[in-house]
Amino acid sequence: MEGNVIEIRNLTKKFGDFTAVDNISFDVWKGEIFGFLGANGAGKTTAMRILCGLSRPTSGGGTVSGYDINTEQEKIKRHIGYMSQKFSLYPDLTVRENIRLFGGIYGLRDREIREKTDAMLGMLEMMSEKDKFAGALPLGWKQKLAFSIALIHEPEIIFLDEPTGGVDPETRRRFWEMIYDTAEKGVTVFVTTHYMDEAEYCDRVSVMVDGKIAAMNSPSGLKSEYHAGNMDEVFRIIAGRAAREE
Amino acid sequence: MWKYLLEKEFKQFFRDPGLPRMALMFPVLMMLVFPFAVSMEIRNINLVVADGSRSEESARLIEKCTASGYFRLVAQCDSPDEAMRLMDDNKADAIITIGPDFAEEVETGSGFPVGIKVNTVNGTRGSIGAQYLSSCIRMYLQDRNPSRDVPATPAAEISEKYYFNANMDYKLFMIPALIVIGITMITAFLPSLNIVSEKETGTIEQINVTPVSKSAFIICKMIPYWAIAFFVLTACLLIAWAVFGYACRGRLLWLYVYTTLDIIVMAGLGLLISNYSSNAQQAMFVIWFFAVIFMLMSGIFTPIASMPEWAQAITYFNPMRYYADAMRAVYLKGSTPADIWYDAAGLVAIGAVMVGWAIASYRKTAV
Repeated sequence: MEGNVIEIRNLTKKFGDFTAVDNISFDVWKGEIFGFLGANGAGKTTAMRILCGLSRPTSGGGTVSGYDINTEQEKIKRHIGYMSQKFSLYPDLTVRENIRLFGGIYGLRDREIREKTDAMLGMLEMMSEKDKFAGALPLGWKQKLAFSIALIHEPEIIFLDEPTGGVDPETRRRFWEMIYDTAEKGVTVFVTTHYMDEAEYCDRVSVMVDGKIAAMNSPSGLKSEYHAGNMDEVFRIIAGRAAREE
Repeated sequence: MWKYLLEKEFKQFFRDPGLPRMALMFPVLMMLVFPFAVSMEIRNINLVVADGSRSEESARLIEKCTASGYFRLVAQCDSPDEAMRLMDDNKADAIITIGPDFAEEVETGSGFPVGIKVNTVNGTRGSIGAQYLSSCIRMYLQDRNPSRDVPATPAAEISEKYYFNANMDYKLFMIPALIVIGITMITAFLPSLNIVSEKETGTIEQINVTPVSKSAFIICKMIPYWAIAFFVLTACLLIAWAVFGYACRGRLLWLYVYTTLDIIVMAGLGLLISNYSSNAQQAMFVIWFFAVIFMLMSGIFTPIASMPEWAQAITYFNPMRYYADAMRAVYLKGSTPADIWYDAAGLVAIGAVMVGWAIASYRKTAV
């Protein structure tokens, strides 16, 4: 598995009669930004939850960070970061307390937490907000803070589930700058998104349709494959074949 | 890891706009207000007298009844029909009818023309009213004829002595029971609502992708409520002592031991509820369901022994039954675990099932 941080083979997830994820296989390379696209209900969140150890596959298997997704979920959790579309820091704790909590959960010492807190707040330019309740921050700041906290234990892979949902274009651009910086440090970024301009920023994208991976390539590769001018057109061509209703 | 999680839970608890105040108000209300509100003593029974005799003797009988303090004389009628009409209008709870020949018959000892009618729309009020009336009549007969054997007087005199709560003080009886209800609310229902609210905001998902073990997360969630439960228990005992002068007859230690057992059962129940509820509305409904069954089937308000057998069977599955029985036994009688081992056994058995089931059904990784 030279260079692969995620290897998935024949992964299937069924909920009763409904097959949310239908026999997908793919690899994610170390240090790349991997875009995971698909319409609502295509099965991308389900697949991502399995990779994070939040859900068990019905059949098939694979590894994340070298650990088995069927049996070693708790080990996987030590080596990944996760940030979901829903703001999931504690709104009734302050910025600093949230950082301290998650640092502590990942086994950092008090001194390390203090150093990381200062560095993080400095980078985010949120030093003056450190004693504000996280719930009182504007959405864009919340997202950036949540992203930074998901990286506090220096994971090998970070999973971002629609990280820029609902924020303005300027904040989105800055958020992507943070993603680039992170990838440059060798962290693999696994990101789901609805914004096709964001798909252009990824090194490689896969498009899920009806629980299957319908296409996977670099954005430029996909554009030439489907004779499309941009990712938006690519997505419409591929997702337009969906049989499944939302 | 534990340190940070505990820190979070305590901070969140004290930042909550309502919870800390509630923890303080709860023991005060429970001890100073509820004992009076839940009193089952029946007073102010509306009495109507249909006195056909209008004699000195009948006046003495009526006086005996009204002097007891349990009755309020609403009206004196001439005919039983008129009295009955008052009862139909819900103005009378009890009627005592005295026959026209009352004075003569009592004098000669040939009879005792007195009748009692009670309104049993409210069953308790009615039956207790009838009991009070007949004991008043008995007292009248005794006063009148201390030596002679009077008809309608029981041949054997019953003397009552109440053990453990000598003055039949209902408040004293209810204090351990109210503590039981309070502790159950705090240790079962508040943490389950807390966990469900983390489900609703999505923060539990963020915790689930971290290496935090499920047991650590849940135990850290419950510890603040356990601390509050012991605080409430201590505060209640202190208030009962300072305000009413009640003290626990048994060793205080046993109250705390049984409370600990109950807390473990309730922790399991609270976790179970949160596992099977995905939002606060669902959780609240399940909580109400359990709270009502627990209280009504626990013997706190109505004695278990007077329930039908099938209902008594249900109470064996009610942890509050054991906890309430133990708390009353220790507080009122001074029992030790050797006397009430069965309460501990019941709590441990139910606790083992609840906690085991709760842990089995709580998953960080969904199926």
